[in-house]
Order: sequence, then structure tokens, then C-alpha cells
Amino acid sequence: MAVWGGFCLGITGFTYQTIFRNPLSSPDIIGVSSGASAGAAAGILFFGSSLAITLSSFFGAFCAVIVALLLASLDNTGRNGSIVLSGIAVHALAQTVLMALKLTADPEKELASIEYWIMGGLNNISIYDMKIPAIFCIISMSILFLLHRQIILLSADSDEAKMLGVDVKKMQLTVLLISTLAVACTISLTGLISFIGLLAPHIARLITKNNRKTTMVLSGLMGSAILSLADILARSVASTELPISIFTSLIGAPFLIYLIIKRRYVL
Amino acid sequence: MSFFSAENISAGYNGKTVLNNISFQVEKNSIIGILGANGSGKTTLLKAICNIINHSGICILDNQNLSKLSARELSQVCSYIPQRSGIDIDISLIDVVCMGFNSRIGIFNQPTKEMHYQAIQALDKVGLRHKAYENYRSLSEGQKQLCIAARTIVSNPKLMVLDEPESALDINHRYKIMSIFKNMAKESDSCAIITLHDPNLALQMCDRLILLKNGEILNIIEPKNDGLEYMENALSKLYGTVSLVYCKDKFNKSHLVILN
Repeated sequence: MAVWGGFCLGITGFTYQTIFRNPLSSPDIIGVSSGASAGAAAGILFFGSSLAITLSSFFGAFCAVIVALLLASLDNTGRNGSIVLSGIAVHALAQTVLMALKLTADPEKELASIEYWIMGGLNNISIYDMKIPAIFCIISMSILFLLHRQIILLSADSDEAKMLGVDVKKMQLTVLLISTLAVACTISLTGLISFIGLLAPHIARLITKNNRKTTMVLSGLMGSAILSLADILARSVASTELPISIFTSLIGAPFLIYLIIKRRYVL
Repeated sequence: MSFFSAENISAGYNGKTVLNNISFQVEKNSIIGILGANGSGKTTLLKAICNIINHSGICILDNQNLSKLSARELSQVCSYIPQRSGIDIDISLIDVVCMGFNSRIGIFNQPTKEMHYQAIQALDKVGLRHKAYENYRSLSEGQKQLCIAARTIVSNPKLMVLDEPESALDINHRYKIMSIFKNMAKESDSCAIITLHDPNLALQMCDRLILLKNGEILNIIEPKNDGLEYMENALSKLYGTVSLVYCKDKFNKSHLVILN
């Protein structure tokens, strides 16, 4: 699970950072993770079974993204910024929903499990749960690989990309939807996992110093490696399993600071 | 009918008119330059031609209405060089040049070996072959312009729309890059519409020059055929009083030079 989840998060992080030309982009930026949290919270409150939680967080993540993209399409200038802005709006909205749900939750049991979900973890995931999401992820990862050249083209100005023969709007939408599908599949199982999507592509680019397909693959592999490491730590440091985001952030934050200091703070 | 014709092009931003009823023609194998002060609408005109911004009026290239084409079809016939390329990621020059092939290969496919070879040749033409596998971002602004020019070379368009492709280049490279575009227009039955930073370069390299002021065409001059006085008057309306003189270089070749 760690290998596969990290891979998806790494690749989608690479995709987002490239098409938004923003080194800080990750799937969070268009509201996926907050949508997923709100969905999960709703699942915990109203249904309770783990399958229902997974489904409802997937649903939440997807709704958030659809709303964000719809909002962005209201602005017909086709700027990248509009997607980011509407992502932030949706993020805020989902946070509000999440807060409202938390307020109504029973503080002893439900609130605790919402908080645990948000911190993420790879325990309690059986091979059986993984089957269908894994198929989705494999399909969407392969499409992203095939579209690699277009993703790179989208990193140019939208005018320029258009004049190189890219249907900018359609392609951007396609790529975003596909990567969101993969992220939603992953985090609806694991809960939120911070920093991997941000970090893995940076490490990959630091190693290859370019943006070719190898960099994309490496982003995925780095994601797998970091998440596996974090998972091992989460399971072994204390006698009970700790939330995995503690460790991904623990690895991620210092590295981000290192990037800032090294001034390689660019794509 | 001309190879390319723009008819009654008007465009603006936020309700403010920037271009007012521009019409002109470009013949096959020729280069037409656009001169104008800053803010006179040069870039807007180029963007309207490429259908990047909303505009009224039509542009016809080789009997095709450019605004009816999809992005992919448009990029097969028309290549655009923006004032500054927006590429801002670590990517090798060869990959940048290969972007020029995008509209000719399927969206899932990779450029072929033959295309790679052509890309190397194009980089050789602009003098960047030795840097083919280096990082685009490590280049100077001028070298970036040369690299983007190589991308236009490989895309082999019918119409080149070039927005100050020489602004960051030194004098030597300016003439070199313009000769490359000129040869492309002559050899591959295409034409170029180009805004230039340097009026001397424009006088020397372009077959015709559109003088643009406040979004309207003041005059269209032909440096090779028109009389000196006529051109001087036309250019003076654009730049304030200027003088045009013929100078001879040391090979005894005569050049038209503008003096302020």
C-alpha cells in the first residue's frame, strides 16, 4: 500500500507542479484533500463502516474537485490562476463543512476517529480493500505517463501551448481529473498523507535536473520510498501505530527548509 | 488572392479598442514587418492573427480561415513566437525544439528519431548545437530566443508570426536569425509577419513594413522600391522627425539607415 500510494502521490505531485508552474502545488491545491476529509467525516458520522468511510471520502474529494473546476471555468480567460483560486475557495468551504461535522460529532468516539483519519495511516487496509482503487490508479497513472509530453507543454504559457497545438483547456481538465481520480482513490483509503506530493517531485528533479519521463517515474518511486519509510517508522517507533502524517511531515518539513536555503526553489 | 490576408481586424481589452480595422496582405515568400511605438498594438495584432485573443475581422491563409481551425490544425500551418517564452522548467534544449513537432505527432506519441535529427539540425542553424542537451533555463535571454527560433524552424509552418524574435540578441545574431527566417520564407513557400525592435533591421530585412500608430495603419512602405522622401515622411509620422540615408558598407553594398 505504501509503495503504491506513494507512487501515485509522487506522480500527481509532479503533474500538478508542472502544469501550475508552481513548486508548491500538490493535489491539495485544488481542494482534493479537504474534500476527502469532509467526506470521511460525513462517512464516520452517518455510516460508520470502513467501506462507507472510504466511499464517502472518495465522493467528497471528487465533488470538491468538480466544484473547483466548475468555478474555474466561469472565468473564461483560461488562466492557471483561476483554478488555484477556486481550489482555495473550495478548500475553505470543505473545511467549514468539516468543522460543522466535527461539532455535531460525539467527542468520545466519532471526533477521535475523524481526527485519526485526517492524520492518516496505512493500518487496517487489507489487500482486498485495495483492489478496485488500485485498478483505477494503475489506469490513471498509465494515462498520465502517456500524456507526459502534453503535461510538459502545459507548463509553457497558455498562449504558447495553444500555438504549439495543445487544446489547453481540455488537456488541463483531462490531466487534472485523471490525477485527482488517482489521489482520491489513494487518500480515501489511507486518510490524509501530507507532503509526499510536494516533496517527491522535488527530490526527483534534484537528482535528474530535468523534466523528462524519467523524472516523472522517479517522482513516483521517491513517493513510494518516503511513504514506505514513514510507514515503517510509524509502525515501529512506538508500541501502537502512530499516524503516518507525523512522519511524512517530519521528513518533509526539514527537506523543504533545505530547498529554500539552497535556493533551488524552482521547478 | 494573396497568400495571407487580414481583413478588418479590430480588437481590444476590457472594452478599450487597441486595434481599429486593420487590413493588409502578405505574399508568398515574403516578410512583412510591423513598426510602431510601444503600445501601438503590434503584439495585439499578432495575437489577433493567431486567434489567441478575441477579435473581429478575418484572417485567411492559403484559403483557410484561421479562426475556424482547431489549436492543432492552426499550429500545423502557423508558428508563433511570443516576446518571451513561458517555459520555466528544467528541460533540455532538444526537448524544447521538439515541442515544435507536437501538432504532427499523436498526443500519446514521442518524437521520432528523424525528428530528433531535424531538431539537432535546427539547433545547429541557430548555433546552439553544442548545448542541445543542456538545461534551457541555464541559457541567456538571447540564447533562449535562438532556441525558440529553432522550434519554429522545425515546425515548418506556412505562416510565421514572430513577436520581436531578436530583441535580446546581439547585432551579429540579429542578422543571422533574420536571414534564417528570410530563407525559410523563400525556400519553403511560406511567409512571415514580424514585429521588430530595431527599425534598421526592419528596413534591411523586410519586403514591406506596416507602420502602426494607435491601432491604425499609417502607411505601408516597401523599403526596396519606395522613394527615400516618401519613406522618410512616413517614418517621421511614426517616430517624430527622422532622416533616412543610404550608407555603403565596406563591401560597397548600400544600406538604408534611419537616423533620429
